[in-house]
Amino acid sequence: MAVRACRIEELPPGSRKIVPGGRFGIGVFNSGGALYALANRCPHDGAPVCLGPITGTTESERSYDAKWVKDGQILRCPWHGWEFELATGKSVASPPKNIRTYPVRVENGWVIVDD
Amino acid sequence: MDGSLSTIEKVDAAAHPFPRDQDDIRKYMSAPLSNLRFPGLDGYFYPPPSAEYRPDFAPAGGLPGSDPQLLSRQLISDGEVSAVVLLPLTRGLLPDVDMATEICRATNKWLAEEWLAYDTERFFGSIRVNPADPDRAIEEIETWADHPQMVQVAVPLQAHQPYGQRRFRPIWESAARHGLPVAVHADNLGGNEYWPTSVGYPLHYVEYAAQYSINYIVHLMSLIAEGVFEDLEDLVFVFADGGIDMLFPLIWRFDSDWRAIRSVTPWVKKTPVDYLHGHVRFCSHRFEGPLDAEERLPWLQAVDAEHLLMYSGNYPSVSFEGPGAFDNAPAGLRERVLCRNAAELYPKLGARIS
Repeated sequence: MAVRACRIEELPPGSRKIVPGGRFGIGVFNSGGALYALANRCPHDGAPVCLGPITGTTESERSYDAKWVKDGQILRCPWHGWEFELATGKSVASPPKNIRTYPVRVENGWVIVDD
Repeated sequence: MDGSLSTIEKVDAAAHPFPRDQDDIRKYMSAPLSNLRFPGLDGYFYPPPSAEYRPDFAPAGGLPGSDPQLLSRQLISDGEVSAVVLLPLTRGLLPDVDMATEICRATNKWLAEEWLAYDTERFFGSIRVNPADPDRAIEEIETWADHPQMVQVAVPLQAHQPYGQRRFRPIWESAARHGLPVAVHADNLGGNEYWPTSVGYPLHYVEYAAQYSINYIVHLMSLIAEGVFEDLEDLVFVFADGGIDMLFPLIWRFDSDWRAIRSVTPWVKKTPVDYLHGHVRFCSHRFEGPLDAEERLPWLQAVDAEHLLMYSGNYPSVSFEGPGAFDNAPAGLRERVLCRNAAELYPKLGARIS
């Protein structure tokens, strides 16, 4: 079913909306012009993950050389800090435990999510 | 091999040879340190209130575990073990770093000359190094790594810092470069180890004795969190003082927290539990576990003894346990614990026993 989330001008880059849809609500994000829609439920413990901060993450080749990467592309759960890629819902840590994602598009100025 | 007990080769992965008397290694030390006093083998803050070693493991006029011929008869002839990994103890965390290093050097020479030479087929050795002195620990590894019977590096369980921390890394790199596992065992308590728990100091020997071996978990978490196993992919740590019965409950806690806080230590690529197979082994003494034989087997399976556990008797301790402790285990598990895990971990030893 298609959910009409909001007008596109209500969702400028860097903002988000939590809208009804799916079983747990859906977080719709505008990340630098790209739109993403994720289920508002952390696969770990059921937290409203889409309320968490948008941040980056760390990568490392060997001990003690942490690099800051993917700034603005990581959704961090507000409860336990699990990290997910905003674009795919995939967990940064393995083994994978991913957030469900939904197709999202803009039609006649409306942000539409297919839940 | 049909797996019946009589046909399984057996390896004792940790027996402790002692000098004949406290001062016996002095003749292997160099001046000027050889002229100084150093702690004996029993300088305890918590003296054991009863016997610590079995009197029948002592030769006339010597300390228990101090006679190669007697150890050979008791473990190999009578105990039907095919190979023994000798893990001599040193004198704990001596404040004098140079003295502690010299005692390691002397212990290695003593072990090679008085024990490994006694039985070049069945006795295997451990290279004692002082972790507080990384440069000379590496020299000691370089000196002994190619000895045909030296199969691992050994360090005390007692430590001033957990072993994952970066000051120790060069030692582990050297061990890994030479294909040597690192064994961790509570040392003789001659040093300054009135050691605390995370909540302070216990007062009685029983409290201390019951909890000390599980301190391995602090080293293990440190090794994982600092990325030692990620950087040194062939390195194996052997926790030679038992405690595997506690391993999984403790690692599960670590796993759970790691997932949430992963980004602080991005060099840890795997869930902590997934490092165990490749990097961790335990010696069986002391596997407390349930006393009931029927409950013991499921516990052995729950701790993945098949992959992680090697039989050790802890000769010459009063709580010495023969290989019969695993008689009730299924043949496959028994063979791995009594022999194959050690044979695979220690190639020089494995080549000798089939």
